[in-house]
Amino acid sequence: MRLIRDLGRRKLRSTLTISGIAIGIMALVVFGSMANKMNALIDGGSQYYADKAVVSVGNMYTGSFQPLSLSADLEQIRNVEGVAAATPSIEMMLNDDEAATMGVPEMISGFVPDGDKGLETFEINVAQGRMLTADDHGNVAVLGCDLARRLDASVGDTVVLRKTEFAVIGILAPTLTAPDKEAMVPLDAAQQLFVKTLPPMLQDKVDATDIATGITVYHEPGVTPEDLKANLEAALGDSFTVMIGKDFDEMLGTFSAIFSLVLTGIAMLSLLVGGLSTINTMAMSVAERTREIGIKRAIGASRWRIRREIVMESAAIGLIAGAIGLAIGAVMTTVFNDLGRSSGNVLFDLTLGTAVTAVAFATGLGAIAGFVPAWGASRMDPVAALRYE
Amino acid sequence: MAILEGRNLRKTYHLGRGNKVEALKSVDISIEAGEMVAIMGPSGSGKSTLMHILGLLHGPDYKCPDPSDPCPAPELYLAGDSVSTISDNQRTRIRARRMGFVFQDFNLVPTLTAMENVMLACDYAGTKGKQARVAALDALELVGLGGRAAHRPAELSGGEQQRVAIARALVNKPEITLADEPTGNLDSEHSAEILALLRSFNREHGQTVVLVTHDAEVGSACDRVIRMRDGHIRDHGYGDGVTNGAPVMAVPAVAASA
Repeated sequence: MRLIRDLGRRKLRSTLTISGIAIGIMALVVFGSMANKMNALIDGGSQYYADKAVVSVGNMYTGSFQPLSLSADLEQIRNVEGVAAATPSIEMMLNDDEAATMGVPEMISGFVPDGDKGLETFEINVAQGRMLTADDHGNVAVLGCDLARRLDASVGDTVVLRKTEFAVIGILAPTLTAPDKEAMVPLDAAQQLFVKTLPPMLQDKVDATDIATGITVYHEPGVTPEDLKANLEAALGDSFTVMIGKDFDEMLGTFSAIFSLVLTGIAMLSLLVGGLSTINTMAMSVAERTREIGIKRAIGASRWRIRREIVMESAAIGLIAGAIGLAIGAVMTTVFNDLGRSSGNVLFDLTLGTAVTAVAFATGLGAIAGFVPAWGASRMDPVAALRYE
Repeated sequence: MAILEGRNLRKTYHLGRGNKVEALKSVDISIEAGEMVAIMGPSGSGKSTLMHILGLLHGPDYKCPDPSDPCPAPELYLAGDSVSTISDNQRTRIRARRMGFVFQDFNLVPTLTAMENVMLACDYAGTKGKQARVAALDALELVGLGGRAAHRPAELSGGEQQRVAIARALVNKPEITLADEPTGNLDSEHSAEILALLRSFNREHGQTVVLVTHDAEVGSACDRVIRMRDGHIRDHGYGDGVTNGAPVMAVPAVAASA
């Protein structure tokens, strides 16, 4: 309480210092929450790719992409050494105009439910309804949680995906990564949707039941993903792209590193600005209280007591600023998430860890900044301090 | 028995650019337990410096004013124990537990109430919680301010503030109280009040009181007056106050090392 009273003695200065740190902490909270979301996304992808290889031709994001043929390519892959199972899939954008979103776009994912032969390790749970089975064909869909929320759909509803009606049979539990924004449909339904996206000239020439955008390959026990990739590349030739977990990590690791760098930069900046302004505030408050420190020393306060008093006050500035910064940051991320939810852009994930780190960081910053003036105060000559006007 | 005894106490303040002031020029002093002593003298005579050394706020100088002219090392004893070479922490501990301080400008902490100011001294002496509250309230009642415990210094008159300072100095029942011009900022009525308080503690608890003053009336109310001039003790005299102990041993004034 005494601490707060001492801070209250210089309201304007304390307020300004607290605001300075609070802004830094707010930025830390907002960017930290964004990084949480990104990292969850990347971790999810990394986990998904960990035990498999995905074969495609070209890159679907750059337009050089070509469909694979089930009758030719799939059969060839199944015969490659080390392959335990290979299953075709169709991955396509839900909306063609959604290329500029942050994070992952909404996707339609067509697959053969038992195509993995039980080898899939990435766990996806159903929150409502049921998962697709091998008996499902045609226009039924299981929606990711974010997509379901955006479409305001629940089990039993009908949703329109790419101008085609689908019956919702299940909704996924949150995975924090790509499937949250996916509509999972049987392969045959996705094939039909995919053919319609091809130029009219091509549409007639393609057998819809024979195409896939990717083939997921599972390896036999004892075969490493790197071996599998080497075997596949040797068998298929250069026109195919084979992606394994390591490739994914390399691709997105850079992205994640840049993000961490930005976050660290903001933390350092707030450290510098907040720390210096706290040192300034505390140094001035020590100068103003020179006499008071002299009295306290004279009547028996040890140097350690004087230091502790100033460091605690400084830490209190940090704690208050951290709490305010966290509160503003929490409000901001909540508001942004609510605004973005309708368009499927939930970009922030404020975790307990981020919140605790931000407040602890601010408090520690305050305490460390207090050490400098505290040291000076504790070395003052009590008699000289008593005479100070 | 001497509770405070000093020999060869010197202090030179260096004001920079070779400018220095010899505030204390080799002083010997002995204060008996239970005495109430006034140190008097004109401004700059070294009386405050002497009190600061006796109160362990400053250490005496070990260096001689003239390096080519060797001088005896200073000695300072508190109740027979040497305290001239102890650490800052030990000095602080003695100040907190065995001494009480009263200053001219009252010197209370402005953000704390009267009660909290007194409790600060308890805290530094290691008394906490309820025990400290009881002791602080008792001390405030003793100085007649039991009803003003929750007031801040700004809400108290000068005389009241000085009484709070006395309560703070006495709350730990120290052996020695050191007062630097305790009545310097008070009118004669309040001065008499403060003096009476110090005297009553001296009588009832056998507490040694050393006070620095300009005021001859204050000096004459004490058992003994030590007169200083130019950094030396000039003479001792007995005040009009009645000594409660044996006759005080006169300490010879030390002549300048001429």
